[in-house]
Amino acid sequence: MSSASSINSISPPSPPPSPTMSMASINSDISEQPRKIKVMIIDDNAINLTILSRLLNKHFADTIQLTSVMDSGVSALDQLSKDQVDLILMDIDMPVLSGVQTTTAIRSSDNHDILVQNKNVPIIAVTTSDAAEQRELYRQVGMADCVSKPIALPKLRMAIESAMKTIPALSTG
Amino acid sequence: MTERDQTRTAVADPEDDRNGAETENEGEEFEDDGIIDHTTFDQLLEMDDEEDHEFSKSLVWNYFEQAEKTFGDMNEAMKKLDFPDLSRLGHFLKGSSAALGLTKVKESCEKLQHYGNRKDATGANTITDSEAEELIRALLIQMREEYDEAESYLRDFYEGQETQEA
Repeated sequence: MSSASSINSISPPSPPPSPTMSMASINSDISEQPRKIKVMIIDDNAINLTILSRLLNKHFADTIQLTSVMDSGVSALDQLSKDQVDLILMDIDMPVLSGVQTTTAIRSSDNHDILVQNKNVPIIAVTTSDAAEQRELYRQVGMADCVSKPIALPKLRMAIESAMKTIPALSTG
Repeated sequence: MTERDQTRTAVADPEDDRNGAETENEGEEFEDDGIIDHTTFDQLLEMDDEEDHEFSKSLVWNYFEQAEKTFGDMNEAMKKLDFPDLSRLGHFLKGSSAALGLTKVKESCEKLQHYGNRKDATGANTITDSEAEELIRALLIQMREEYDEAESYLRDFYEGQETQEA
C-alpha cells in the first residue's frame, strides 16, 4: 500500500463521549447484557471431558462459561460448596459416587455443605446409560434431562437451551 | 516383547481362538467396514482448528494410551476372574470408544459390561459365572482385534492428513 493511499485511508478520530452520558446510563447498558451461564462438567473419563469441554467452548462460547471441569462426583461436591454454578453436565457411571448419587447429594436438604444457590441447579445427564427406565430414574432424582453419548450437538444444544429457561434471570456481579 | 504383544498373549488362548480363520491379511487395505461411525468422528474433526487436526489427533492418541492401559487392566482382572472390575472396565472404555465413533469396540465393551454383571449380551438375562468366564475370554480376543482394526484405520487416516498438509 502506498503512503498516499495510506494517508487517504486514515479515518478521523471518533468524537469523545457526550458529556450528557452519565455513568449510570453506561452501567445500565452494560447490565442489560446477560452474563454467560457458569457450567460445571463432570466425567471420570478424561477423553470425554476433553470432548465436552471443546464442544462447549467451540459452539456455546457466546452463552456459556465453562468454570469447572471435574473428574469425580466427590470433587464436584467439594467444588459446589465453594463456587456457584448455573448448569451441570454430569456423567452417570462414575466410581465412588455415581451421577445419580451425586445428584441426590446436591438435592438433599440434609447436605449443608453445598452452597444453597447450587441446590436446585439444573443437571443434565450425559451418558451411554440412556435406556427409558434409566432416564426415568434420572428424572426422579432431580435431573433435568439426559443427553446420550456419543454426544450429538443438536441434542446437547436443545437440552442446554431447555435447562437455561429454568435459570432465574441473570444479572451482573 | 512389547507390552502390546504381552496383552495379546495374556488373553489369547490358541484353543479358544475362534477368530483365527477370519483374521485379515495385514497387507490388505483397511476399508471402513463399520469400524468408524462417521457422524460422530466427523463431529470430532469439526472441532479441529482449520489449519490442522492437532486437537482430534491428540485426543485419538490419548485414547490409544487409555485403551492399552485398560486392556492391561482387563487382563489382570481376567486372571483373578474379577467380574465386577471387568464390567467396570468395559463401561469405562465404552464411553471413550463411543465418543470417538469406534462402533465395534464400543459394542464389545458394552457386552463386557453385561457379561461382567453376569448378564447376557442384551443385559436382560442372568448367566452363570462359568458362562460369563467363557464369554468374556472370547470377547477379549475379539475386542482386541476390533481395537487393532480401529487403531490402524485411525493411524492411516492421520498419516494421510499429514501427507496432504505437507
